[in-house]
Amino acid sequence: MIWLTWRQFRAQAVTAIAALAAFAVLLAVTGPHLASLYGASGITGCHGGSCGQLASNFLSQLGTGIYPVVYVLGIAGIVLAPAVIGIFWGAPLIAREFEAGTFRLAWTQSVTRTRWLAVKLTLAGLVAMAVTEALSLIQSWWGAPIGQAARLATTSSFPLGMSPFSPLDFAAHGIVPLGYAAFAFTLGVTAGVLLRRAIPAMAITLAVFAAIQVAMPLGIRPHLFPPKNATAAISSFTSLPTQIGPDGTFAFSVDYLPSQPGAWILSSGAVNAAGQPVGTSPAACKSGALAGSPAWTPCLASHGIRIAVSYQPTRRYWPLQWTETAIYLVLALVLAGYCFRRLGRRVS
Amino acid sequence: MVIEFHLDGRSGVAPYLQLIHQVRQALRLGLLREGDQLPKVKDVAAGLAINPNTVLKAYRELEYEGLAAARPGIGTFVTGTLAGASLAAHGPLRRDLQRWLAKARRAGLDDESIEALFISTFRSAAEEDIA
Amino acid sequence: MTAVLEAHGLGKRYRRLWALADCTLSIPAGHVVGLVGPNGAGKTTLLSLATGLLAPTTGTIEVLGGPPPASPAQLARVGFVAQDAPVYAGLPVTDHLRLGAHLNPGWDAELARDRIERLDLDPGQKAGKLSGGQRAQLALTLAIAKRPELLLLDEPVASLDPLARREFLQDLMESVAEQELSVVLSSHLVADLERVCDYLIVLVGSRVRVAGPVEELLATHHLLSGPRRDPDTLPAGQQVISASHTDRQSTLLVRTSDPVLDPAWTVSEVGLEDLVLAYMSQAAGRGRRNHHLEVQK
Repeated sequence: MIWLTWRQFRAQAVTAIAALAAFAVLLAVTGPHLASLYGASGITGCHGGSCGQLASNFLSQLGTGIYPVVYVLGIAGIVLAPAVIGIFWGAPLIAREFEAGTFRLAWTQSVTRTRWLAVKLTLAGLVAMAVTEALSLIQSWWGAPIGQAARLATTSSFPLGMSPFSPLDFAAHGIVPLGYAAFAFTLGVTAGVLLRRAIPAMAITLAVFAAIQVAMPLGIRPHLFPPKNATAAISSFTSLPTQIGPDGTFAFSVDYLPSQPGAWILSSGAVNAAGQPVGTSPAACKSGALAGSPAWTPCLASHGIRIAVSYQPTRRYWPLQWTETAIYLVLALVLAGYCFRRLGRRVS
Repeated sequence: MVIEFHLDGRSGVAPYLQLIHQVRQALRLGLLREGDQLPKVKDVAAGLAINPNTVLKAYRELEYEGLAAARPGIGTFVTGTLAGASLAAHGPLRRDLQRWLAKARRAGLDDESIEALFISTFRSAAEEDIA
Repeated sequence: MTAVLEAHGLGKRYRRLWALADCTLSIPAGHVVGLVGPNGAGKTTLLSLATGLLAPTTGTIEVLGGPPPASPAQLARVGFVAQDAPVYAGLPVTDHLRLGAHLNPGWDAELARDRIERLDLDPGQKAGKLSGGQRAQLALTLAIAKRPELLLLDEPVASLDPLARREFLQDLMESVAEQELSVVLSSHLVADLERVCDYLIVLVGSRVRVAGPVEELLATHHLLSGPRRDPDTLPAGQQVISASHTDRQSTLLVRTSDPVLDPAWTVSEVGLEDLVLAYMSQAAGRGRRNHHLEVQK
C-alpha cells in the first residue's frame, strides 16, 4: 500500500520538492548578502534611541534592491502552499478514483478501504505538512534580519515584516503553516469524497479554505485569549492617525502602544476620563481654528481624553501559534474521521 | 494432438454430445486408437471457449461407455475401439459408395435428392433390421 | 457443496427507485454462472453488492460465507472486474502488476507474467493507451493472478470485438479449468454466455425471474405449439412463461418438471436464448399491464 501511495503521489511529491529546492536556492543565494548588510548596519551593537534610526536606514537600503520582492514572494509562497496542497493533492485523491472508476479496482484488492485511506492520508498529509513548514523555516531564517530591524525601526516603507502579529506574517511563520497544510489537505480530500468530481472539489476546497483563512485573523484569532485593555496619554504617541468629521466629530486609531512595544493592537479609540468612548470634541476644543491645529490634541488631553487600546501582549505570540495550530489539526482530524466513516459504509 | 474438436453452435445438439460424437467418429475411422490420449480438459475448454464441465461430462460419458478411462493427474486415454474388423472393409466400401454417387449424378439427381434417397433407404433398412 | 453467494430478500434502493428487489439466490460453487438481463435490470447492482462496493438497503448477502467486504481475507478470495475494466491510465502495465503484488498476499507473480507475455502486452505501455480488449485482459489478469475462489465479472465482453471476445472467454475457461474457480459473469447478450455458463440467473426489471443449472432449465422448459388455447386452462404444474396466439394456433413457452402428455401439443426443446427472451417478455408484459391499469384509472 505504501508503494502504491508513493507511485500515485510521485508526480506531486516531485513537484513539491522541486519547488522547495528552487525556493531554497533563491534564498540561499540572497541570504548571506542580506546578513552581511545587516551586520554592517550597526544594529547589533546599538543602544537606545540610535537603534531606531539605524534600523530605518537599513530597511530603506534594502528597499532599493531585490529583497522586498524575495521577501514578499517567500511570504506569498508559504501562505499559498496549503491552498495549493488542498486543491492539487487533497481534492483529486478520492475524486479522481470516482471519476475514472478506478475505485472499483482499488477497493477490490485485498486491502480494506480503511487501510487504503489511512496510508494515503498519512503519507501525503505528512509530506504536505513537512513541505509547508520547511518553506516557513527557510523563509524565517532568511528574513530574520529584516524582522529584527522592523521591530526597532521608527519609519519604514518595507512592505511586510513590521509585526509578527500582522495577518500575513503570523500565517507564514511559527508552526501554524503545519496546521494550515494538514487542514487544507483533509478539506480537499473531504470535498472529493462528497462531490466525487475533481474540478468541483478543487473549487469548493479553494472557496472554503480561503473563507476560513480570512475569517481566522479577522474574527477568531483576536479572541483566542481575552484581550488586554490599557489607556495612554494622547501625547505619548508620535503618530496618531486621525479622522475628522463634521460638527467636531473625530476618531483616533493607533497601531502601537508605547508601553507595550510590539503588542498586537486589536482596536483603539479615544475615551474620556471615565473610560467611555468619545467621538465628539468638547465644546471648548471645537472651534474651527482648534480642529486641525497643533493645539487641538492638548486641548482634548486637558479635558481628560486619552487613547484606549485593546491588545494582545507580545508574550501571547507562541500561545496563539500553538492554539491556532491545534485548532487546525483538530479540524483536520475531524474531517479525516468523517472521510473514514463515509468510505467505510457505502460507495457505488 | 491426435484429435481437434470443433463445435457447431447452430446444430441444436448439446456441446457435450457433439464432443462425444466426434470422439466416436474418430474411433470409427481409425483416427483415434487405443492408448491415445484425449486432449486435456483445460485445452479443450480454452480452445473452444466452453465450460470445462461440459468437456468433463463428455469424457465421463465416454468412460461410462467403456471407450475411455481417466488416469488422475495425467489425462484421459482411449481404452475401447469401435472400428474393429470393419475398418478393413472401409476401403472397398468407400470405393463402392463413390461409384454409386457418380451413377446418381449421371442420372440427374441433385445434392438434396441424393441425401433424401440415402436417408430414406437407410431408415427403412434399419427398421427392417429391427423387425 | 457450499454456496459461493447467498442472498435473502436482497434489495437496493436509490432515492425512490429500486435497482434490485426481493433477490433470493443460492449460487453453488464450481460453476460458471451467467447473470443475464437487459440493461438497467440490476446486474451491476447485484455484483456491486457482492463485492461490498455497495451496501444493501434491505435483506442480506453473503459471499464465501460472510457479508462483504468482511475482511482482507475475504477480499483476497474474490476477484472483480468492473464494467469497462477500469485501470489507471497513467500507470504502465508492469506497475499494475506491482499493484497486484503489493495489495494481494496471494499474488501469483509467475502466472501474471506468463499471461501478460502470452497476451503480447507491452509491459511498459501505459494502460490508458491499451485497446478495449487489452484493458479487459489486463483487468482479468489482475483478478485472476490473486488466485481467488470466486471471480465476478461485470459485462466483461460487452465492448469487445468478436476476436477479443473469443480470446477473453478462452482465457477465462482455461483459468476456470486450471484453478477450479467459480465465476459469475453478467451480460445482456445470451450468446456470450451460452457456451461458457452452466448455471443461469435471469434478472429483469430488478428482480430474479429464474435461476438454476442450465441443464435443468433446458430440461424443464418446453415450447408447446398446437390449436388455439387459453393459457389459463393448462394444468397446475405447467407454468406459462410466454404465450403468443394467432386465430387458430397458440405457441406457449412452459416451465414444468412433469412430462407434457396432452397429445394436442407439439413439444419441442427450447434454446437458452429463447428461454431468456421469454422471461424478458414476461416481465415486460406485466409491466405493460400495470401501466395500462394505471392509465385506465
